[in-house]
Amino acid sequence: MTTSTRVLFPRMPRGPRQERRYLERPRQQGLVGRAVVEAFRKLDPRQAVSNPVMFVVWCGTALCLALTLEPRLLDVQAGDRERAFNALISLTLLATLLFANFAEALAEGRGKAQADALRRTQARTQARRQLADGSIELVDSSDLRRGDLVLVQGGDVIPADGEVIAGVASVDESAITGESAPVLKEAGSDVAGSVTGGTRILSDQLTLRISADPGKGFIDRMIALVEGAERSKTPNEIALTVLLAVLTQVFLIAVATLSPVANYLQVAPSVVTLVALLVALIPTTIGGLLSAIGIAGMDRVAQFNVIATSGRAVEACGDVNTLVLDKTGTITLGNRLAEEFLPVGGHSVAELAEAALGASCFDQTPEGRSIVRLAEKLGAVLPFGPGTASGIDFSARTRMSGSDTPDGIEFRKGAVDAIKGFVRSRGGQVPDQLDQCFEQVSRLGGTPLAVCRGAEVFGVIYLKDIIKPGIRERFDQLRRMGIRTVMLTGDNPITAGVIAREAGVDDFIAEATPEDKIAVIQQEQKLGKLVAMTGDGSNDAPALAQANVGVAMNSGTQAAKEAANMVDLDSDPTKLIDIVTIGKQLLITRGALTTFSIANDIAKYFAILPALFAGVGLEALNVMQLASPQSAILSAMVFNALIIPALVPLALKGVKFRPLSAEQLLRRNLLVYGAGGVVAPFVGIKLIDLAIGALHLI
Amino acid sequence: MARFLHIRFWLPLLLVAGTLLLAPLFRSSQPPLQSHALALLLCGTAALSAYLFAVIAQPEKF
Repeated sequence: MTTSTRVLFPRMPRGPRQERRYLERPRQQGLVGRAVVEAFRKLDPRQAVSNPVMFVVWCGTALCLALTLEPRLLDVQAGDRERAFNALISLTLLATLLFANFAEALAEGRGKAQADALRRTQARTQARRQLADGSIELVDSSDLRRGDLVLVQGGDVIPADGEVIAGVASVDESAITGESAPVLKEAGSDVAGSVTGGTRILSDQLTLRISADPGKGFIDRMIALVEGAERSKTPNEIALTVLLAVLTQVFLIAVATLSPVANYLQVAPSVVTLVALLVALIPTTIGGLLSAIGIAGMDRVAQFNVIATSGRAVEACGDVNTLVLDKTGTITLGNRLAEEFLPVGGHSVAELAEAALGASCFDQTPEGRSIVRLAEKLGAVLPFGPGTASGIDFSARTRMSGSDTPDGIEFRKGAVDAIKGFVRSRGGQVPDQLDQCFEQVSRLGGTPLAVCRGAEVFGVIYLKDIIKPGIRERFDQLRRMGIRTVMLTGDNPITAGVIAREAGVDDFIAEATPEDKIAVIQQEQKLGKLVAMTGDGSNDAPALAQANVGVAMNSGTQAAKEAANMVDLDSDPTKLIDIVTIGKQLLITRGALTTFSIANDIAKYFAILPALFAGVGLEALNVMQLASPQSAILSAMVFNALIIPALVPLALKGVKFRPLSAEQLLRRNLLVYGAGGVVAPFVGIKLIDLAIGALHLI
Repeated sequence: MARFLHIRFWLPLLLVAGTLLLAPLFRSSQPPLQSHALALLLCGTAALSAYLFAVIAQPEKF
């Protein structure tokens, strides 16, 4: 993974996560209004047919409405009393359908609102297309095609996704990431070499090779994804759909064959009563909320500023067994801190500290500030008067920074190779001791920065990796959930071992190459495990494609983003841990609501069966002492309808996640949602029955 | 041609044909309207059952 650009150009410290969210949570009021309209639109049978459980309810509703309009359609003796009862059942079933549609529409609406926010960043702009003879023509951004060369200058909006082929410039990517700090883009760099259409170039100029045709750029794909246009059922959803369809089929056959049996017993239940029984028996609660849970899972990931290419990817997160993590930026802070000064060439620590202070006084990066702090702690004073020197900014070309005094003294610090070149260019000699110090620091897993004054090398600054606070606790949590963590680093085995022990990862691979990443992923997958990893460079692309969950950084290359099944807009590798948590939460929510849905059918049997077979000795089953058979059936139907909107907030928000093992979670969910699902309807149906009696509805 | 292969074309025809075929079975105990309605209900239930079998067989298509 290429991390040098990020380390050398550290971003400004970020504010709270909510403040930098690009994919803002849409306003609830507008969403609800749109969801209500959409709930009625979804009554169209062509849409209803995609949900087997709710389509059966749809058919039952149509039948009951027909029998409300003409009660004698199937029974010549039916009259106005039956018409009123049929109307109440029809309305209740219609409400059940509308509530289920509303839940789905509400979840979809949040994605659509996010898509609208993204669409606003897509402005058609004029672009300077470079022709084969080198001349420039002005074209509309929609006329650009893959492979076109485009020139962009300070202040321009980048017209389309592309690769930088010439120039160095800073780019404002806040339109995509919400991050206000500009990002350096330059040709020939892996991570910094790609730009996204819709972002703005702040200074200098770049020549770009367009990498996407109109409508196929990164933002276009993001819009399609958050809008749900490309949403297909996940394996888990498909399995659950089959289970629900099987249950519905079994109950449909049971209810259809019940009529002749009832006729034989001379009970003869009405068709509307049989429809009510069928709707009570089939798992309407989970049937109505299933797609809303899936959409809400993707929405939760988007709220974390992560774009998932499919619901399958989010769901796979919930099943992940192994996390493959890069050390830098994930386990350790990207910003390293100065730990020690190692002088060379006969200089003292004090002399090196003074030179380091002179070279770092204009450096406002965390590393630069930590060098100033360490030098001042050692008693160093600035070797020139305040305000007399001028700062030399770091650049990717020079790979060093420093300051120049008016009397021509140059203080520099930077990569050891760069400083060697600088000193030699000034006619100086590089002491052999410099290479020894470089090796010594490298062996400790630190970053060596050489310091010089003009043609004289003073020594090396040891920048130490700092393990992120709280990361050890996160890994402990993951371990309790049965997830193994593997750290990959280019460091030598000794340094890697020290950091792995301090961070509490389960395993590490030192001196890792891109090939090692694929090897470790394949090895885990051969053991039947699901692997998640993050990456940003082109060399990470094969491993991102191989992993079950590959999260590419938005700052990464186009190849990495195309290979991954998620893109993190904040480019924060630590977020992989949060994404896994969201995936687990999605699966737990679906499991909990399925348990609740099947469990709450039990109470409905005790309401409807005694009502259906009142004359043949099943009255003993009326444990709730419901007022009348018709009131019992209506109460069960009303409860069945009301439980869907009552559970919508839980479906959208997700069941609260607890870092427990699968067995502990199963036990807990069976207790809360299984036992709760059995008890709640008994109470609810009884209360509704009392209300129906009080209102004299029947 | 594709129109003739589509379920939306065949389903109403099958329901009507099934209703006309089954209605005489109920004619002895029910008046004409009720016997046809019962036959249609039976055919509709069979179609719903077939739809559920289709979902079970090819869930990804729904």
